[in-house]
Amino acid sequence: MITSSARHTLRLVAVLALLGAAAFPIYWMFVTSLTTSSQLFANRPQLLPSFSELHVYKDIFAAKPVGRWLLNSAIVAVGTTAASIALAVFPAYALSRFRFRGKGAIGFGLFTTQMLPEAMLVVPLYALFAKAALLNSLGGLVLANTAFTVPVVVWILKGAIDAVPLEIEEAARVDGCTRMGIVMGVVLPLIAPTLAAASVIAFFHGWNEYVFAQTFITEDRLHTASVGLAGFVGELSTPIHSVMAVGFLYTLPAVVFYLMVQKHVVAGMTAGGVKG
Amino acid sequence: MASIQFKSLTKTFGQFAVVKDISLDVRDGEFLVLLGPSGCGKSTLLRMLAGLESVSGGEIHIDSRRVDHLPPTDRDIAFVFQSYALYPHMTVRRNITFPLIMRRHRWWFHLPIIGGIAKRRIERSPEVAELVERTARTLALTDRLNQYPRTLSGGQRQRVALGRAMVRQPQVFLMDEPLSNLDAKLRSSMRAEISKLHQRVGGTFVYVTHDQVEAMTMGSRIALLKDGIVQQLGTPREIYESPANTYVARFIGTPPMNLLQAQLRDGSVQIGDFSQALPAHLRAALPAGFQGPVILGVRPNRLSVAADPSCALAGTVSLVEHVGAESSIAVSLTAARTAHEEEGSAANEVMMVLPGYSPLRAGQQVGLGLDFSDAVLFSAQTGHNLIPAAAGTTH
Amino acid sequence: MSSNSLELETPPAADVSTRARKAARLEGHPLLPYLLVLPATLYLVVFQIVPLLQELGLSFTATSLLASNQSEWIGLANYRDLIGDPDFRKAIVITLIYTVVCVVAAISLGLGSALLLDAPFRGRGFARAAVTIPWAAPPVAVALTAIWIFNAQYGVFGHVLRFFGLEAGSLNWLDSMDYALPAVLMITIWQIFPFASVVILAALQGVPHEQREAATIDGADRLNVFKAVVWPTIQPSVMLLALFSTIWSLRRFDLIWLLTQGGPVGATNTLVIDVYRRAFVNQQLGQGAAVGMVGVAIALVVTVVYFKYTARAAKAGER
Repeated sequence: MITSSARHTLRLVAVLALLGAAAFPIYWMFVTSLTTSSQLFANRPQLLPSFSELHVYKDIFAAKPVGRWLLNSAIVAVGTTAASIALAVFPAYALSRFRFRGKGAIGFGLFTTQMLPEAMLVVPLYALFAKAALLNSLGGLVLANTAFTVPVVVWILKGAIDAVPLEIEEAARVDGCTRMGIVMGVVLPLIAPTLAAASVIAFFHGWNEYVFAQTFITEDRLHTASVGLAGFVGELSTPIHSVMAVGFLYTLPAVVFYLMVQKHVVAGMTAGGVKG
Repeated sequence: MASIQFKSLTKTFGQFAVVKDISLDVRDGEFLVLLGPSGCGKSTLLRMLAGLESVSGGEIHIDSRRVDHLPPTDRDIAFVFQSYALYPHMTVRRNITFPLIMRRHRWWFHLPIIGGIAKRRIERSPEVAELVERTARTLALTDRLNQYPRTLSGGQRQRVALGRAMVRQPQVFLMDEPLSNLDAKLRSSMRAEISKLHQRVGGTFVYVTHDQVEAMTMGSRIALLKDGIVQQLGTPREIYESPANTYVARFIGTPPMNLLQAQLRDGSVQIGDFSQALPAHLRAALPAGFQGPVILGVRPNRLSVAADPSCALAGTVSLVEHVGAESSIAVSLTAARTAHEEEGSAANEVMMVLPGYSPLRAGQQVGLGLDFSDAVLFSAQTGHNLIPAAAGTTH
Repeated sequence: MSSNSLELETPPAADVSTRARKAARLEGHPLLPYLLVLPATLYLVVFQIVPLLQELGLSFTATSLLASNQSEWIGLANYRDLIGDPDFRKAIVITLIYTVVCVVAAISLGLGSALLLDAPFRGRGFARAAVTIPWAAPPVAVALTAIWIFNAQYGVFGHVLRFFGLEAGSLNWLDSMDYALPAVLMITIWQIFPFASVVILAALQGVPHEQREAATIDGADRLNVFKAVVWPTIQPSVMLLALFSTIWSLRRFDLIWLLTQGGPVGATNTLVIDVYRRAFVNQQLGQGAAVGMVGVAIALVVTVVYFKYTARAAKAGER
């Protein structure tokens, strides 16, 4: 029979394998960025990064406007986050606390909008943005992205507000707070972890987004990192290690940021409603 | 039916010892109650016996077989949880049948369709079905067999938990505060049911509770625990009449025994400025020539309002509670001190229980008379009962 | 006094309707909820519903990308053409395979990962965080790295396969008709399984451990404890997870487009890719819209089926 210590060892091995598989491609991105061209095309792959090649990172900023790309991505991500939260808080509160005609329809509508693919709506949205002169603007991207994050954020926040006992609001009312005051001053602070989780989700959507960024923006200086990076596909002039360097620069902030907040994201999301 | 031995059992979580070197024998077929406040180690002890907690030190024997290294399945025990732990997505019938199926389980039962057929065949087999029906009948669950736990009341769920335990016909029944989640009225009827169950089934029951009324009414013997140590092991009568120490004295009884600081001198007890002679049987039981400070234990129903206030224990009534057939009166002592552990306003109070509706009011001055017929004397230093009782007490 | 009073049971949480009724009593304008919901609703109508309706309209026309303001109404012709179009039929099949395999594999892997990470061991917190890395990585970066990893001559994937003597290691999987879909599947599953793992891990925390102990005492081995106690408890979460994973798989664009653009020869042409391809590559907006509508319809059907199933399960008293 398997003893418990043998089982424990097996478990540790399995976990290590799991983590290895999870981390490998990212690690490989990093290694490739720090591998010389000659090594890259050798017969055996190089498994460890050569830190002597760190200059690749410096060089790539000169070759391509990587800094600008990352900045644009950051602007879009932050904008999407702010807009999503601002738009979602009140409907989340309303859906949680009130009973009104059409509530079911709105709830269902929010849910179904999650089904709509960006790739399909890009055509009419392009036409709309063209007419509204929102093409070639980061603000336009924020507007488009927000439409896709709001439903999720509303749903998560609603779940969290459901968990706030009504008695607290009634107590604030008795103390003379206006409804608006209650929402901003009492409820929001209590759902802070969920707000953080929702912000992270919105942020990542904005940071990772590709289709709209690719379709709506043609001006080079407004390209986001996703588009800039995608431009390397099929392009032969930039060496692989430089491409990987850009990829790593684009990935690293996302992964690090996520690792820092992931505990709260999980707590926030499961407090929300993925529990069914 | 089996006897159980705990031999020098210890359980530590990190630095903290929850069960400290407990040695205890449970007799074949008895109903042993592990009694104590939260954190005293009683549940841990029970779970170690079940195999749900590992043993840090010592041994456990069931029916002369050493079991502390065996998993719960191999110990032939049944466990009833405080929260019943019924399987919510199975009917009552399936809940009760589950242990029987598990006992007959083969590795290939895990296979998708074949396993399902095999399990259903066992469920419908005459011995299993009959056993389940019989168990359900015993617990008055026959018309609930096809319902789900969430449609049942607390008492019914408790009975399903009992059924699931009984159906395995184990040697030992373990129960971890099974009545705590029920309301008061239901608790007393379930108490009777469990006692009757014990008489009918005849197994060895180990029952954990913090409710001393449950312990006193159900147990053939009680082990009172505090901080991981057995304070006293004895029949309910022994524990009531001869508490081993002041902790036991204050734990048992509603209200519990009053403890007064006193001086023993020449066959008399002096409490504050009141003195009374000790009865002969107590004087005889004490070691010869014993003098000095003691703790005197007098039950609430042995206090009365003295006819002559001048030779009585002086005090002021602080609270009167009428409970119908009797009255509970708290009296704050003027010139004497209690040996109770309470603080604040209840610190120097004794409880007196008088029959009927007492006319006493709060604030009234009274003189208390003391009946020493079943009084107990404890050492002022150690708190132990100065008169060792019959075998069975520890510490 | 030593009445041995029991701790009070926590009162059950008020159900939703009671809460809502109480909230309504909290005064306030009767139109308040509508006001609160209005901005977001309007926003979504403008940026999602209206475009959706426009797409619907487009699907009944023949419109060229270049001359998008000249639409010719052709009624259901686009849809009729699709039924007869072998590429479209293939796209449906590919989408089906892609979605089913992604969801089943991601949930299975996620379940295994969650079970692995549920038991205590040193470094568990770190492991739980680290396993979410794939999900945190931007799809564009993942696609580019994958392209390099699957490079026929120099990619590490090929190296490994050749090391084991497999001939398939000499191919660029992403360029191969037979292996492109498996490659895309592998990459997708790598990216999405952490989400399943996180959700299932959270659900596992809700499994009542006394039930587990009861099952153990009743004689259940580990697999039976899982089947009798763990799985029924986490099943609703897993079902919901399956629903979301399905809908997201039906939507997924970035990864697949960058990896293969739906090729080679439609081997990875899911419905969403097909929409984009028809609109922007073939420049047929009407056709693209029609395919898009079919995709949305499929997602709707899946959702309706899911809700019917869970409603029926709840009524049958299973949960």
